[in-house]
Amino acid sequence: MPDSSSDGFNFGALPTLGPGADFFDLLKAGGYHFPGQVVAEVSSGQGSAFTPTEGTTILALRYDDGVLIAGDRRATAGNAVIYDRADKVLPIDDHSVMAISGSPAMAYEIARILEHSFQYHRRRQLTEMSIEAKLRRLSILIRDNLPMAIQGIGAVIPIFAIYDSRDEAGKIFFYDALGAQFEVTDFTTTGSGSPAIRGVMYHLNRWGQTRFSDLPREEAIGLSLRLLFTASEYDSATGRYERSADVFPTVKTVTADGISNVDANDLRALHARFIDEG
Amino acid sequence: MMLDEPYRFAEAVSNRRDYIEDQLRGGSPVVGLEYGEGLLLVTMGRGQKKLYETYDRIAMGSVGHPTDIEKLRQAAVDLASVVGFNYSDSDVTLQQIVHFGLGPAVKASFDDIIRSPYIARILLAELDGCEGSLFYTVDYDGSFATHESYAAIGGSLEADRTMQQMLKSDHSVQSGLPASLSAALRGWAAGRYVGLQKESAIEDNGVPSGEITRILKEAMEDDLEVEAIVLDRNSNAKSKYRTLPTEETQAAIDALIG
Repeated sequence: MPDSSSDGFNFGALPTLGPGADFFDLLKAGGYHFPGQVVAEVSSGQGSAFTPTEGTTILALRYDDGVLIAGDRRATAGNAVIYDRADKVLPIDDHSVMAISGSPAMAYEIARILEHSFQYHRRRQLTEMSIEAKLRRLSILIRDNLPMAIQGIGAVIPIFAIYDSRDEAGKIFFYDALGAQFEVTDFTTTGSGSPAIRGVMYHLNRWGQTRFSDLPREEAIGLSLRLLFTASEYDSATGRYERSADVFPTVKTVTADGISNVDANDLRALHARFIDEG
Repeated sequence: MMLDEPYRFAEAVSNRRDYIEDQLRGGSPVVGLEYGEGLLLVTMGRGQKKLYETYDRIAMGSVGHPTDIEKLRQAAVDLASVVGFNYSDSDVTLQQIVHFGLGPAVKASFDDIIRSPYIARILLAELDGCEGSLFYTVDYDGSFATHESYAAIGGSLEADRTMQQMLKSDHSVQSGLPASLSAALRGWAAGRYVGLQKESAIEDNGVPSGEITRILKEAMEDDLEVEAIVLDRNSNAKSKYRTLPTEETQAAIDALIG
């Protein structure tokens, strides 16, 4: 049968993948090379001038209605600020969000593969991928990215938040660079600013007035703004709100109703209430 | 070798057509309509799914052998998904899926005289593509055609023609969903009517309106279920594909059979 598409995609030869067809395998069968597997030939320690871009502080916590996931907007390379409008909280499907610290290049690629994998599964298998399988797909991609992580230029350490409709609860997972997956009960934070706020989060959740899981939505958003602000106080790689640029952190919530993006007007009001006046 | 002789080749192709057309004749039609808020696909069946999401703004329905349909459906999803990833979601077009994918694949299998052909006729719908909303039909021999406003495939070209005539006079693209659902079901019944006739008994005078009600009643008595999906322009979700709930489709059919 004819090779029927200009990007070398052989329509006639399909379907060859069988019932367990996976989008990542389909891509690779079509000649796609996952960049995470590239191992540079230069040996390390030779003083390469290349400094990779990195995303910084992200956090997630369970509040009364679901999960909140937030990140500052700064991307840095060494001491240089590369970008102050980076979006590090990426929706993957209707009920799952991935927040990224580390290499945005690899993280965006992983998020893209993941998003397409989930929707491909739904369309091809005529059923939604299970939560366990979604977590596993992300784990495999992070593991496949190990060569990049070891070379110190492309590590991706994401937080994955998903609403589980069977348990009627939002769930938070984080990963290490090898792809090990850990579920947290209350909160997590990663990225360069996270050491400055991890202890604060523990303290507030344990001895504060309200446990995170009992916080109403607005309080939870206000808390996340304060935490990111705190991180930016002690970590130069974490950005904060600047009046001249008018760019707020990204804050999203994941509930039974799906993903909700907290828009700039709401963030402006909450920023005034929790940071300027608070 | 039989195929060395041109006459034998033509005869083989003709036999192949007869064989496939026999297999398709009784198939449950699929009707596609443009309406006020998007596109609607409707068919009836016994529980097995016949309408599918191909991509964010593209849906597919089919008449034919379930396994053949399944292969073509999966191939269409594969093509759309790879293009959507390598380029962008808005670069996935129905034209591409049909011209580069389904058309050549179905034709190649039809032309390969020593292998079994795809026994399938396909209807695809694209919401708000580069040239507006559009339907494509792909026949069992790989020939394809575009349609605006409405399209239908049944078990034969006669069934298609009868349904198209009916939809042309019965349907307006400004209609709301309930009216469109009703028009689509009447169109389906017209196609079904032709499919149930003996080959010689087909007339070009359309279908008497009493027959439409009778066909729909019989379909309900035979435990057929309505399957209807929309590509909903007003949906906030990335994918515009949505299955209509049974209450909505049942209300439409109850209103028709009284």
